[in-house]
Amino acid sequence: MADLEVRNVTVSYKKQIGIKEASLKANAGEIIGFIGADGSGKSSLMHAIAGVIRFEGEVCYGGVSYHSPKEAEQLKSNIGLMPQGIGLVLYETLTVGEHLSFFANIRNLRQDASFRTYRQKLLHMAGLSDFTDRQAGKLSGGMMQKLSLICSLLHRPKLLILDEPTTGVDPLSRMELWEILDEICKSEGTIALVSTAYMQEAAKMDRVLLFDEGEIIAKDTSKALIDSVKSYTYEQTACENERCFSLDKQTYSLKPLHAPHTEPTLEALFFVNALQKGRTLPHIEIEARESQDEVPQVVMEAKGLTKIFGDFVANDHVSMNLHGGEIVGLLGANGAGKTTFIKMLLGLFPIDEGELYLLGQQIRSGKDRQRLKSKIGYVSQHFALYKDMTVRENLLYFANMHRIAVTTALSRIDRYAKELGFEDYMDYFPHELPLGINQRFSVAAAMLHEPVVLFLDEPTSGVDTIARAQFWQILRGVKKKWGISILITTHYMSEAEYCDRVVLMKEGRKIADDSVKALHAAHPDAKSFEEIFLEYYRSKR
Amino acid sequence: MNRIFWAILGKELLAFLRSAGLVAMVIYSFTIDIYIAGEGIQIKPRNVHIGYVDETGGGISQKILTHLHTPEFLPPKRYRSQEELSRSIFNKETLVGLVFDRGFEKDFRQGKQAQLNVLLDATAASQSFTTLGYLQNIVLDFSELDLPVAIKTHKLFNENADNKSFMALTELLSVITLLIVILTAVVFVKEKEEGTWEIMLLMPVDPRLIILAKSLSQVLIVMAGVVLALGFVVFGGFHAPMNGSIWAFLLLTFLYSFSSAGIGLFVAAVSKSVLQVAQFSIIIMMPLIFLSGAWTPVYAMHPIFQKLSLFSPLRYYIEGTESIFYRGTAFSDLLPYFSGVLLLGALLYWYGFRKIGKLF
Repeated sequence: MADLEVRNVTVSYKKQIGIKEASLKANAGEIIGFIGADGSGKSSLMHAIAGVIRFEGEVCYGGVSYHSPKEAEQLKSNIGLMPQGIGLVLYETLTVGEHLSFFANIRNLRQDASFRTYRQKLLHMAGLSDFTDRQAGKLSGGMMQKLSLICSLLHRPKLLILDEPTTGVDPLSRMELWEILDEICKSEGTIALVSTAYMQEAAKMDRVLLFDEGEIIAKDTSKALIDSVKSYTYEQTACENERCFSLDKQTYSLKPLHAPHTEPTLEALFFVNALQKGRTLPHIEIEARESQDEVPQVVMEAKGLTKIFGDFVANDHVSMNLHGGEIVGLLGANGAGKTTFIKMLLGLFPIDEGELYLLGQQIRSGKDRQRLKSKIGYVSQHFALYKDMTVRENLLYFANMHRIAVTTALSRIDRYAKELGFEDYMDYFPHELPLGINQRFSVAAAMLHEPVVLFLDEPTSGVDTIARAQFWQILRGVKKKWGISILITTHYMSEAEYCDRVVLMKEGRKIADDSVKALHAAHPDAKSFEEIFLEYYRSKR
Repeated sequence: MNRIFWAILGKELLAFLRSAGLVAMVIYSFTIDIYIAGEGIQIKPRNVHIGYVDETGGGISQKILTHLHTPEFLPPKRYRSQEELSRSIFNKETLVGLVFDRGFEKDFRQGKQAQLNVLLDATAASQSFTTLGYLQNIVLDFSELDLPVAIKTHKLFNENADNKSFMALTELLSVITLLIVILTAVVFVKEKEEGTWEIMLLMPVDPRLIILAKSLSQVLIVMAGVVLALGFVVFGGFHAPMNGSIWAFLLLTFLYSFSSAGIGLFVAAVSKSVLQVAQFSIIIMMPLIFLSGAWTPVYAMHPIFQKLSLFSPLRYYIEGTESIFYRGTAFSDLLPYFSGVLLLGALLYWYGFRKIGKLF
């Protein structure tokens, strides 16, 4: 019998099923990866196993089985749970040292010599030994996650459950988090269940569970999983049938194609699964815009923009420009200053220092912006939409704000709905829709007035792999057919691949700014963008 | 311009109607809440527990006790000794205790100074002291003194001295104030929370227009509630007098709601979440209501508070409303109230615009 056995666990909420009849087995020292879209049931299963929500079925750990949070109580000293969200378990005004004492005290740990050695070891591994007197609120996102991790390791749990511990964390801290985890699992014989949004991380785990719509649809080593979809993956070629999808130099098809096979990645699993389930992926086809506004050579030029909040420098003399018909990716971890920068460009935050030129005009006050508003499109973080209006009502409302004639607005809304593939959802409320649909329809809302530049703030965060891939298809299409410029922020380093040029930010400063080609040329050994950025992060420490 | 204004207004009203909880809260506040305030808040004594110790053997003492009848007083309860009576006052079973000691009847008959001892529970100060006033009147009737002065009362404006309609009206004014502030603050803060406010600021629309349209939508909701409350509760339930013009009242209410929406805008400017709106609204509204004269007349306040009350738009609104309802003041004489409300409103709007309505 395995150390951890989960049998037919079902979690249901008022209206929907969180996870249906999930089973898994794990042995001491193993790291199990959970991958899948938002809302596919990863967190529900994690919370059920941690014994913090009600569930049906049985979880058996070390010969003790439990069926409810109450029964799980006896095992709580063996379980460590770290919920999703950066710094969620931390208290902003407590220092690192106080956190460790606090978690040791509520766990009722004996604080003897061996505890102190273990504590020192954890602090050292997390690189926090020199920061024991710093308040958690003043740590960077990566440090917060490392602190959260060592706080949940303090009682030496044998079963560690981590819900997206690395999402939005800078690549270096992410690597360090994994080093801590590997080391602990090996030395303490801990079972770790880890969900992640980064496929490169999943590939390194002992086994991977693939979640889709509240079910586990595949579980195996990542190599076996990749091999299972090998026969469906081809080099990019024209699709001949319905059940086929092309993206990013690869084509996935259930029926055999006359094209050479290529080596798939874990992402391929999602595409093949979608094809197998007969989900038709909306066909995306962007048409030319109606107006003929010319896109200037230099759309945006920022010189030494600085933003200071109290004694915290959010942006430290950031300079960059955006040319006509260019997609620039603004990359960086959470808290690197990406959103602050975009908000300064848009005028939502005052600029403390520096000069800004938008569409050839210097911006000195809010009045200068008034005339430019009709040429700028903006999609904010988390897709700001009115929750109490349907998709159609939302779009009509925004069209009204732009004074677009009603007939033009209606036809344009219909056209975008078709082109961006959300036609079927026009009369739904935003909260009833998957994130991927909301994402596309926020972009449609930002494009209703046919702007010449689009500012997108984290549009791909939390969206599943397929929706993200399609979203990039849309952006490439818009760039090609409309010839407009796009500035997009993201914390997925791998998305740099889709941009023309990338600007990398760290702790409020720009640390790299180059075209994708030049970056690849400068780092011939790097296998992925992830690695290129890791080098920048290391050298600019 | 017009189209944008109506689009925003329509959208806000639609959003309001679609949130069942909010609609229910507004309807409740304008009907049941006001009815409860009118029926429930009593200044006159009602159902007062009376206890007594009678060592005289009855006679005058019983005659006095028969004057203490329902609905003001419950039937007086007899205790055997003063200790027992004191204990029951201690245990909050009795509010007013009367002690007729042995010499009371004799002294009274002989025309000497008879002494009636009264024990009062002063934690319920107003009820027990009004009871004391009643008792003094009763005792006065018994002494058949030939006073050289007779009082002849003429009640003006509110002939029945009925304070139910008065209480209901005061509550209506407080409800208007609270709701308009919270509703307005919430429509702005909800947009801030969801990030749609940033999108709105980036639309090629004058932010002032957006703010005006959004405030107007909430003012309309409150005006609808006021009509509801007037029809069903203030006039329907409590038969409040209306000596002035209802239109003057509605106009004053409209202007006042707009001013208070300015307070809401101010609250929205300083809060980041709906929870903070609740906290700030209470911190800001409580002094405004205290200083307005809703609960204590302005002339009875400390001189400093009297000065401060000039900054409470609610003060002008309450004085104006009472003038319209009870005194029937003419339109032209209401001007000071209208201008007070308008001036304070304009100031608040100016601040709100600056704080949340502009790009940098």
